[in-house]
Amino acid sequence: MRYKEFNRNRVLEICLSLFWQHGSGGVAISDIVEATNVNRFSLYEEFDNKEGILQAVIDLYRERYSNAKLALLKESGATLEVLTNFYLSFLNPNYKYEGCFIIHIGTELADTDPVVKAKLKKYLSDIETLISGLLQTDPELADHHKIYAKHLVGLFCTSMSFCLIHSEKERLDHITNSIKIITSKHQKHASSTE
Amino acid sequence: MPQVLNSSYEELVQKAQELFWVKGYKGASVKDLAEHLDVSTSTIYNKYSKEMLFLDSLIYYNQTCSDPFLKGLRDNTDGIESLRQFFYALIDALLDKSFPRSCLMVNTVVELRNENPDVVKLYDQYFDNLVTSYNVVLDKAIEVGEIKHPEKRDEYSQFLLGVIFSLSILFKINEPDELRQFVDEQLAFIK
Repeated sequence: MRYKEFNRNRVLEICLSLFWQHGSGGVAISDIVEATNVNRFSLYEEFDNKEGILQAVIDLYRERYSNAKLALLKESGATLEVLTNFYLSFLNPNYKYEGCFIIHIGTELADTDPVVKAKLKKYLSDIETLISGLLQTDPELADHHKIYAKHLVGLFCTSMSFCLIHSEKERLDHITNSIKIITSKHQKHASSTE
Repeated sequence: MPQVLNSSYEELVQKAQELFWVKGYKGASVKDLAEHLDVSTSTIYNKYSKEMLFLDSLIYYNQTCSDPFLKGLRDNTDGIESLRQFFYALIDALLDKSFPRSCLMVNTVVELRNENPDVVKLYDQYFDNLVTSYNVVLDKAIEVGEIKHPEKRDEYSQFLLGVIFSLSILFKINEPDELRQFVDEQLAFIK
């Protein structure tokens, strides 16, 4: 049993790397068979089909790569800095997977695959809850934590796509600029004529 | 005997663009392309290459889809309201079946990231065009006094660059009303 668990994760890690490089549409079962050295009957026995493999890969990515970054939102420190570190943790150029696999694969498949869609939705809603929690600990931001959190999730989507094609400095500029504009809304509204 | 092509190169690019839009660059095999364009795979390998057809599809996209869309935005004189209409139109386009998989440029950013330098050059043109268009609109909004902090214009146009990317992912999991509300709130941030 222990051996099988290990084997399963080894296969999923290889699949993650394949899906990351080629997208779901660019990976055939035969590619997976070749890269993992596991025959297709054993793969189907464990995962049913390619969709099953992909779903297991998404879960593995969350568990092994993403959850530690999401946990950064629970760290103590200046709120805006905690937020910035959270975004940047996905954008480390030395990191094996620069960006976010769930956003990446969700962009490709959420229209057509209801399971991927549900996983993307759950993921973004978990991030929103964590950001909301963080903002509620900050007296300056707590009052409007809901609207801020919603738009900071929007910024997460942008950071995982748009920011990737920019230099490290441009990424940081875009992220800090956007956080500032989103979270200064309240102050402006206080004196707004609207 | 050389194969006689039934279509001009521009028609081929137009057809190739349809396929890349649905399947992405990596998801569209040379075999898929050959079938879709009704040519032999060797024609694609020898005469055009998949990469060349893809780059020209992006250029074609900029010229026929994104440029006219942005020109409409720049010509509008309604300030912030014109941005709202622009983003609402984008939401409709995202949800409309005739616009298969959100913006082709945005899809490409997500799929290929910075892997191909020639593609990155095309992103730069696209984003320059976007920022210029946003600035034109923000200037009009400033003229009519819609923006409280005119000195932040450049920060605002950078911020607005993100809206398309947020929407391109959020439309997959949110209802149209929620998306429009998202746009309204984003625009309230810059007022």
